[in-house]
Amino acid sequence: MLVLSRKAGETIWIGEDVEIVISEVKGDQVKIGIRAPRNIEVIRGELRKDISESNTEAVIKNLDLFKYKKK
Amino acid sequence: MILKTAYMGEVDIETKDILKFEHGIPGFEEERGFVLLPIEENSIFQVLQSVQTENLAFIITSPYAITENYNLELDETTLKSLEIKSENEVAVFAIVSLKDTLANSTANLKAPIILNITNKKAKQLILDNEAYSIRHQLLLQSIKG
Repeated sequence: MLVLSRKAGETIWIGEDVEIVISEVKGDQVKIGIRAPRNIEVIRGELRKDISESNTEAVIKNLDLFKYKKK
Repeated sequence: MILKTAYMGEVDIETKDILKFEHGIPGFEEERGFVLLPIEENSIFQVLQSVQTENLAFIITSPYAITENYNLELDETTLKSLEIKSENEVAVFAIVSLKDTLANSTANLKAPIILNITNKKAKQLILDNEAYSIRHQLLLQSIKG
């Protein structure tokens, strides 16, 4: 993973059309601005992780609750 | 083509019925193809079966069958990536997490599966909306299946 040190007010460009702005650093919190085209989804990491865990939990282990009989 | 599945035996599917998840779904990023299989007659539930992995399948249902006031506004990203031109070609599903009973089971309303029924392109959309739960409990009386 590429790791860069930045100060408040500094930016990082990813490709031609995504700009990350470090807008504020306060204690252990960093405020980040993201300027990106609308076709790029921006999702907080913990939300994506929650969905990923929920999907893993939802994988079928058996279909006993249904009357379905294997052919 | 014949598809081997862990829970439904061998099923005959057609290539044109394979749903195309370009980026998989979170946790299963490499799973690009799924098919919808009926589970019982007249059920609100269906099986979303991976085409690649025999023992990877999910139960899905319509969010509208298990909750009232499910309002979904598709963002531009989704419309573009699934090439959706009209709302008539959109189908929405919620992934169900089965527990010991259906009443105790939950559905993920926060990350619905959006399907373009015309071109079969699909994705799991993550809604950044506090109103919808990842584990919405299914209530027996509302299940008509």
